[in-house]
Order: sequence, then structure tokens, then C-alpha cells
Amino acid sequence: MIESKVVAMLLAGGQGSRLKTLTKKIAKPAVPFGGKYRIIDFALSNATNSGIDDIGILTQYKPYLLNTHIGIGSSWDYDRNIGGLRILPPFTSEDGGRWYTGTANAVFENIDFLDEMNPEYVLILSGDHIYKMDYTELLRAHKDKGADVSIAVMEVPWDEASRFGIINVDQENKIVEFEEKPENPKNNMASMGIYMFDWKQLRDYLIKDDENPDSDNDFGKNILPMMLEEGKKMYAWVFDGYWKDVGTVKSYWEANMDLLDPMNTLDLYDKDWRIYTRTRNLPPQYLARNSIVKNALVNEGCYIRGTLMNSILFSDVVIEDDAVVVDSVVHSNCVIEKGAKVYRAVISEGMTVKAGEVIGQEDSENIYLVSEEGISVE
Amino acid sequence: MEKCLGIISGANIENNFGALCVHRPVYMLPFAGRYRLIDFSLSNMVNHGIRTVAVYTGEKVRSTMDHVGDGKAWDLNRRFNGLFLFPPVSHGLSAKRTGEIPQYYTTKDFFDQAKENYVFINHPNILAKVDLNEAFRFFKESDADITFIYKKQSDPFGEYVNTQKMNIGDDGTVLNIGTNLGTEREFNMYLKMGFLKKEVFMKLVKEAIERGESDNLLETILINKDKYKLNSYEFKGHVESIRNLKSFYDANMNLLKKDIARELFYSNGIIYTKTKDEPSTLYTEDSSVQNSLVANGCVIEGTVENSIIFRGVKIKKGAIVKNSIIMQKSEIHENAAVINSIMDKQGIVGEDVRIAGSMLMPFIVEKKQEIRKD
Repeated sequence: MIESKVVAMLLAGGQGSRLKTLTKKIAKPAVPFGGKYRIIDFALSNATNSGIDDIGILTQYKPYLLNTHIGIGSSWDYDRNIGGLRILPPFTSEDGGRWYTGTANAVFENIDFLDEMNPEYVLILSGDHIYKMDYTELLRAHKDKGADVSIAVMEVPWDEASRFGIINVDQENKIVEFEEKPENPKNNMASMGIYMFDWKQLRDYLIKDDENPDSDNDFGKNILPMMLEEGKKMYAWVFDGYWKDVGTVKSYWEANMDLLDPMNTLDLYDKDWRIYTRTRNLPPQYLARNSIVKNALVNEGCYIRGTLMNSILFSDVVIEDDAVVVDSVVHSNCVIEKGAKVYRAVISEGMTVKAGEVIGQEDSENIYLVSEEGISVE
Repeated sequence: MEKCLGIISGANIENNFGALCVHRPVYMLPFAGRYRLIDFSLSNMVNHGIRTVAVYTGEKVRSTMDHVGDGKAWDLNRRFNGLFLFPPVSHGLSAKRTGEIPQYYTTKDFFDQAKENYVFINHPNILAKVDLNEAFRFFKESDADITFIYKKQSDPFGEYVNTQKMNIGDDGTVLNIGTNLGTEREFNMYLKMGFLKKEVFMKLVKEAIERGESDNLLETILINKDKYKLNSYEFKGHVESIRNLKSFYDANMNLLKKDIARELFYSNGIIYTKTKDEPSTLYTEDSSVQNSLVANGCVIEGTVENSIIFRGVKIKKGAIVKNSIIMQKSEIHENAAVINSIMDKQGIVGEDVRIAGSMLMPFIVEKKQEIRKD
């Protein structure tokens, strides 16, 4: 239940180039995850589960599949008479066409949209992250503190802290300093890229930022430091739960594997916080006589005759007789033919592993990414 | 096919299904891990371009309303046309007369207003992926008033006794439709589906109301058979006729055969159903699953063999499920055994409990029933 009007702006234009061929044809938010989802489903489901009625999706990089996936948002109940979901791509105006030059610029370019919505608060989200969060809690903290900005933060391992934007706070969780990827971090509270802004304040700062030709038009690098400098009330809100930004092929593989751990904290089976996605309406999966399936997540339409261990199958995957798939993530519509063996691989949508072929190594540290362009070792 | 109305009329014999049909009509029986019987009929019509569908729901309308809703899962939530749900009317004319004809008559306006000139009637308890485009073409090209669809069903063991048997003349005209007594090893089974010209349909309904000879459409057609051109169209694919507990159980088990599953699930378009947004199914280290169909959202830690597992089922460590149908959100706890059984939705078989029926007479766990050892 949201009592004040919040509009969410979901940044979904990222390329995610470190994911290599996984993002060759699609934006990072559209990358398949967890057997049946795409990464953006988590932020979208969080928003709808948090009772946010209006959401703008800022797209830019190769948006076709993302647009198809989201459609008019009916999978998330965003097909409404009043409010709902809008896809906001870059556009041309009398000054010519412009791409979104940064996260803040993407929102700046859509000031007209936000003015029409006339919200009290604007929630900035990223479509790149895998987590479950109730944004109403962030809003409540934001209101309780009377903050101008609230930033969701979480504790990260100390040895990884230098990869993140680190936030230093006082005893009241009031932000005193930002450190962008510091070599020697003073603490291990990292920004999650989730910001709750007072809209009037944000509006002023977006315009100010746009007037500065030296700015990168980025929330983390420009807007937030500028607000801090000018003495705005900025608070950190500590999130304690599963959160992952899958930056590389290896971390993508690991995040998928996390789901096989019965103790994993991203409980996909939680009926009170479902993750929604566009469904393909496929029949149930079939496991044949003599198939071996252990410690695996399997989606609809799969047909398994061989062996599957410690792996995740998306929909409509066929594993033929005597084929073996171990420690792997196999995307939709793949066929693993007779006697083929696949270890520690990520196999892109629609690939066929030919009979008898062997991919990857069981005792390797590497991950093998299989796509139309061949196999790359990560 | 946009010139054709679709009608689902599901007069049921619910007594044949015991506890499974106390709260639901037969066509709402959960089937094949994630569907209801009616999904097959609805999907096949939609996949062949029928855009207006009327469903005569029968009295137990609650589960139908919940499942079918505004027809969104089948893209039947249209601004015009789309899905029409007709619960039974029990005042006026149809207060004294039961049967389908009075129900059709009470919805006369629907037929009058529809722009379609043809009617396709089918029964939701018969699952057959008939190529309706081809059957419709046959119906129109042969200029018949009514085309009945049938299958040459082989029946060496008399399993199809009491189904409807079609007597067909040499030129394909329908001579009569009676009851199969199992006297032949192969017979022409009427699939309770066919095409009619709308004007013929309306005329039959009105005449039946006036004359009062019968309130059943098929009987009415047969009484008037000399006035109309009736012919027959043979369907050569697989048919499941769900008419009692045994045929319901067998139809589920038949889906473990690859060819039958392929045909029912994929031929002439896929089957749509209300989605439940379940995650994938998790098989743990201790699970062992053989020859089974498993829907999404399950957590399987035990042993499963020759079974159909619906969405969101939990099978705990050491539990054994064999030759069984386990419906939505049921739970089978540690070291329990469920053999030759049908568990209705949300049933629980507790720790160490063993239940078993026979394949001829499966044991039934009722909806939300809990069986525990104490």
C-alpha cells in the first residue's frame, strides 16, 4: 500500500558488455536468469509487489527483445486504465535526436513525462540487478527521516568493497561521503543503485546537471555528490537480503548456481513475493525412464532422457540419451544430442550440442560460454 | 474460420468421478500437470481462428469463472465478440425443462446478433486436436447442413461401451447415432463435435421448444434427420474421451507416451491455460524421477515413477509416488508412499503414511484432505 504518489523510473538501457555474447543481441536486463526469468523481471516484480502503479522503462541498447518481453506490462499487472507502464526510449526533438548520455540524462530527457505524472517521489531503479525488495520500506524510511534522497545500501565483503560505490554515514545513517570504487574503502556499505528522491528536488538538480557541459550526467558520479555538497539531507537505508549485479559471465553462472543451494536467500517459491515473467505456455517437463536428474532447476517443455546434475535448464531444452550436463546453465530451445557431454558451460538460446561433442571440463575453474560464435573460455 | 461461432456445451455425468467432481464440473478437472480439460477445446478453437466462443457452464460455475475469467489466457478478452459465459437460466421456459435446448433458446439473442453464419459445437470432455480448418472446409464444400466428426476407434477390450456410436452410410451420410455396446472390435465413435449452419441450428432449437419432443440437441437432429443433409468427417488422430474415473486416469497416464503427448500438446497449436507464475521445478540431490510429467513450481526430494505431477507439488525425502496423479499444491511428506492414486488439489499425505489403490480403481485423496498417522 503506497499512500503517497511514487513513480518508478527503471533504467534498462545498459549493454553489459562484460557478459560477452550473452548481450550481443539483447540488453543486459533482457538476459535470461534462473530457469525462466529475465533479469529485469526482478525489478518489475518488486515494483508491482510494492504497489507502485506508475513505472517508466528507459530503454536504449538493442531494445527489441526487451520490448517484446515487457509488452504493455500485463505480466506484472501494469496494463491499467490509469497509470501503468510506459516504455521510454530516446527520441528526437526540435534540437535534433539525442541518445541518453547517462543515467541522470535519461531521466532528465523525460521530465515532461514526470511532470505529467506529478509524483511526490521518484524511485530510480536499475534493470540489471537480481534481488527482492519491498520499496515501501525504503519509502517509509525516506519519509520518517524527512530526507531529500534515500539510497539503498548493503554490506558487501570487505575484499570486494573497492568494486562498488561506497557510502560513508554517521550514526543516524546520514550520508557524509561518497567514495566511487575506492582503493582503501573506509567501510563496506555499497550503494545498490536504488534511489528514492523527492521529485521537486530531483527536478532542480537534473536541470542544473544538464547545464554543466563537463558532467557525465550520472546519478552516482554527478547528481548525488552535487546534492551532498550543497547540504541536502541524504540517508542510507540498509538492505539485508540477496542482491546480485551479474557483471561477468562467471558471476552470471555463479548467480544461477546460487539458486540450487537450498539455503539460498532469494526464495523464488515465496508465494507472498512472486517473481512474474512473460510465459510461453508450454506443457510440463518430461523425465524419461533411466534419466538422472539431481540438484537441478528445470522449466516447462524440457524433455530429459540423459543425465543432468547441478544445472539449470530454461524452457524447451532436450537432453537426449546418454548425454550428460553438469554444472551448467542451458538457455531455452537448446538440444544436447546423444552422448554429448557438457561441463561448466553457459549455453545460449537455440544452440545444439552435436552428438558425442564434449564441451568444458569438469575440474576446471573456467566457465565455457557457448554461442553462435563458438565457445569462449571465461 | 471467422465466420464460425464456437460453442462449448458440457452436459456432464458427474457421478462417474466420485469425490473429484463434488465441487467442479467434469470439464474443470485438472489434467496433464497444468491444464483443465476445457483448455483443450478452448485452445483448439482459438488456434483455428474462432473468435467468438460461448461456454454453457452448467451449475457449478464458480471454478469455471475463476479459471476461464474473461478469456484472457486464450486471447478471448476482446472489445467485441470474444468469450461469453452462460450460466444456466432457471426461470421462465427453462424452469420446467432441463437440457441444452432450453439453454440455447434463452441465449437466442446471442445467436441472432452474431455475424457468424456457422456454428461449431464441441464437448469439453473429449480431447482431440482436430484440424478445424480442414473439417470446416469439408463441411462447406460438401454443402451439408450438419457435419458430425467421428473417429474409427479400435476397442478390443470393450473400454468404450456406452460411448456414442455413429452409423454411417456408404456415401458418408449419417444414418443414426446410438450407444456403443462393444459388439465390434472397431466402431465409429461420435466425438460430440460438429459444424452446423446457424440458421439450421436456430430452426432446430425453436422447433424443439415448440414441439417438446426432446430437449437434447442431438436427439432433435436425429428426429429431423430426413429434413437436413447430414454427413460425417473422420478424424484420424488421437482421442481421449473422459467419461469416468478410469478414462480420466488412463488419459493422464497416456501422456507419458511420447507420441500421444506430442500430438495433444503441440499439433495444430499449443494449449493455453491460466498461468500461475510458478518458478521452475527443483530436483534435489535425493530425488529420483522416472517416466513422469512434472509441472513447474514443484520441489522434488523423493522418488517419482510413472506419474503426473501438477504445479507447486512438494514431494519430501524418502517419499515414493508411483502410477499416480498428484494435483496442484499437494504435499507428500517424508517416507510416505502414494501408489495408484489420484490426489486432488492441496491434499496432504503425512509422514510414513502409505496409500494405494489399483490402476483400475485409483485411490482418491479429496481436495484439501489430510491423511496423517497419529
